[in-house]
Amino acid sequence: MTHQPGPDDLSRRALFVKALAAIGGVFAAAVAVPVIGFGTAPFWRAKGDLRLISRAVTPALRATGWASAGNLADFTVGEPRLVTLSREVVDGWVKGEDRVACYVVRSGDAAAVAFDHHCTHLGCPLAWSGGAKRFLCPCHGGAFDVTGAVVAGPPPRPMLTYETRVENGEVMIGSLQAES
Amino acid sequence: MRRIWGWVDERLQISPILAAFLDRRVPAQVGWAHVLGSATLLFLVVQVATGIVLSLTYVPSPDAAYESILYIDQTPLGGLVRGIHHWSAGLLVILIGLHTLRVFIWAAYRYPRELTWVAGALLFFVVLAFAFTGYLLPWDQKAYWATVVGTNIAGSVPFFGKNMVELLRGGPQLGAVTLARFYGVHIWVLPAALFLLVGFHLFAVLRQGIAASPRHRPLVAAIPGESRRDRYQREYSAEKAVGHPFWRALLKDAIFSGVLLMIVFALAIFLGAPLEPKANPNAVGYAPRPEWYFLSLFQMLWYFTGPFESLLIFGFFGAGALLFLLVPFIDRSREVLPQRRPIAMAFAGAVVVGVVGLTVIGATSSPAGVATVPPIPGMTAQQLEGLKVYNAEGCSSCHAVRGIGGNSGPDLSRAGFRWEADTIRTQIVTPQDVKMPAFDGLTARQLDDLVAFLTSMK
Repeated sequence: MTHQPGPDDLSRRALFVKALAAIGGVFAAAVAVPVIGFGTAPFWRAKGDLRLISRAVTPALRATGWASAGNLADFTVGEPRLVTLSREVVDGWVKGEDRVACYVVRSGDAAAVAFDHHCTHLGCPLAWSGGAKRFLCPCHGGAFDVTGAVVAGPPPRPMLTYETRVENGEVMIGSLQAES
Repeated sequence: MRRIWGWVDERLQISPILAAFLDRRVPAQVGWAHVLGSATLLFLVVQVATGIVLSLTYVPSPDAAYESILYIDQTPLGGLVRGIHHWSAGLLVILIGLHTLRVFIWAAYRYPRELTWVAGALLFFVVLAFAFTGYLLPWDQKAYWATVVGTNIAGSVPFFGKNMVELLRGGPQLGAVTLARFYGVHIWVLPAALFLLVGFHLFAVLRQGIAASPRHRPLVAAIPGESRRDRYQREYSAEKAVGHPFWRALLKDAIFSGVLLMIVFALAIFLGAPLEPKANPNAVGYAPRPEWYFLSLFQMLWYFTGPFESLLIFGFFGAGALLFLLVPFIDRSREVLPQRRPIAMAFAGAVVVGVVGLTVIGATSSPAGVATVPPIPGMTAQQLEGLKVYNAEGCSSCHAVRGIGGNSGPDLSRAGFRWEADTIRTQIVTPQDVKMPAFDGLTARQLDDLVAFLTSMK
C-alpha cells in the first residue's frame, strides 16, 4: 500500500525545502565571505582617493631606501640618461634586491631629477629621443619634454618622479613620489 | 569491445539515452550554418586538455615562468602542445565571434532562448578573459607589457579605477603576485565559469532544441487567444516534422572541426607558439602590442583622448558589453528575417566593419611611438631625403603633417605656404620658441633636405 501525499505532507515538504535552502544559504555565505574577501583583498587594500577619472598605475617594483646613480658631474644638463640601479624591493613574498630603471636628468649645478620611465597614459616604456629632445611613448604617441611635462598625445599628467638629492657630488635616488 | 559495451549498457541502460539524443528531430536547415557552435565546443575541450598538460610543467613565478616555457618547448611534443594551445586560443575568439554573429543574424535569441544568448555572451567574455590572463603566463616581453597596458585599461572604472588595477595585479605593481593571480584565475576561476556556462548553454540547446532558421511565412497559423508558449510549441513541432534526425547533421560538424584541427596542427608544427625575450620591466624602446584579437580595442585608444578618456573607455566598453549581453531583451520585435531587421543588421555590420577595420589599422600601423609620415607620389629625391630626416629626428612627436603627428607644435602641413625657406631653416637650428629644441646637430645636407621637404608642403 503506497502512501499518497496529502495537503499536509505538501506543506510540510515546502517548509522543509525552505528551511534547507536557508541552511544552505548560511553555509554558502560562511564559505563565500572569506573566499571572496581574500580573493578580492587587493581591491579593498588599494590606497588612494576615489577618482572619477582613473590614472595609470606604474607597474614598476616599489623601491625603498636610497641608491647612487653616480657622479652628478658625469651627467650633462638637459640630457636624460637611463640608469638601472640595484634597489631594495618587495614583490609579494619576494624581498631583496632587484634592478629598477629610471631616467636621471641633471637640472643644474647641484640638482638632478629622476623620472619613472613609464608613460602616464597606460604605462608603456618611454624612450628618450635625443633628436626630438622628447621622451616618446611607443603606444599612443605620448611625448614629454625634458622636465617631464606632457607636450603631445594622450598622457593626462607629467611623468612621475623619484625623490632625488645630491650628496657629496653623487646623485642619490629615493622612492617613487606619491601617485595620487 | 562490443561485449564490454554490452555489459556496461545492460547495467546502466545508456543506449536509449544515446538513441534519443541522436534520433531527436531537428529543423531541416540544421547543417553547415551550425558547425560553428560545435567547433567552438571542440576547441574549448582542446584548450582544457592542452592546458592541463602544460600546467604539469609550467611554474607561475617571475624567476621560473619563462625558463619553464623554454623547457616545455624543448621537451618532445611540448612545443606542439603549447603551439596548439596558442593557436586554438586565437581560433576560439574567431569561432565564438562567428557563432555569435550567426545566432544574431538568425535572431535565434528570441523567445524562448533569451537565456541561451546571455550564457553565450558571458562565454564570449570568459574566452576573452582566458586570452587576457593566458598571455601573461609565458612572462616574455609581450606578456609583461601587454599586461601593463591591459590592467591600466581595466582601471578606467570611475572612482574605483585604482582599486580595479590592484585587484587585477594583486597590488600596485606588476610582479610575482600578479603572475600567481593570473595563473590561478586562468586555470581555476575561468574554467569553473566555463564549465557552468557551457553546461547551461548545452542544457538549454538540448532542452529547447536547435532554433529553426528564419522563414518568410511560419509553418503554422496563429490561433487567436493562444498563449505564446503554445504557439511556439506548435511552430517548433511543425519545424521538427519537416526536419531530420540530429545524427544526419553531425557529419558536417565533424568535417568542419576536422579541417580546423588540421589547420591548428599545421600552425603549431610549422610556426609553433611565439615567444619573445624574457620580460624586462626596465626595457625602453619596446613597443607593447597586444595579441591580434585585442588590437582593435588597443587601436581604439588612439581615438579616445582628452581629459575624459578613461570615462570614455569605461562608458564605451561598459555600454557595449551590456548591450551585447541584453540583446534578447532590447530587440523585442517579432521579425526574424534578416532583411526585415535593417537596424539590427546595420548594427551588426557596423560592429564587424569596426572590429575588422581597427584590427587592420592596428596591425599595419607603425609600432614606433613617433608616427611616421609616409611619402606621397610626386616627391623629388631631395624631398624624400628630407622626409627621412623628418621621421628620423622625431618631428612627428610635436608637429603634424597631413594629420599625422603630435599637436604641441604648429601643424606643418602648409609649412611652405606659411613660411619662407630661410625662416624654416632658422627655426630648426635656432628656434625662437623655448618649447622647440634646437636641431643644431644636423649636417648641412640634412638641413637642406629637410627644408626642401617642408617648403614643398603647401
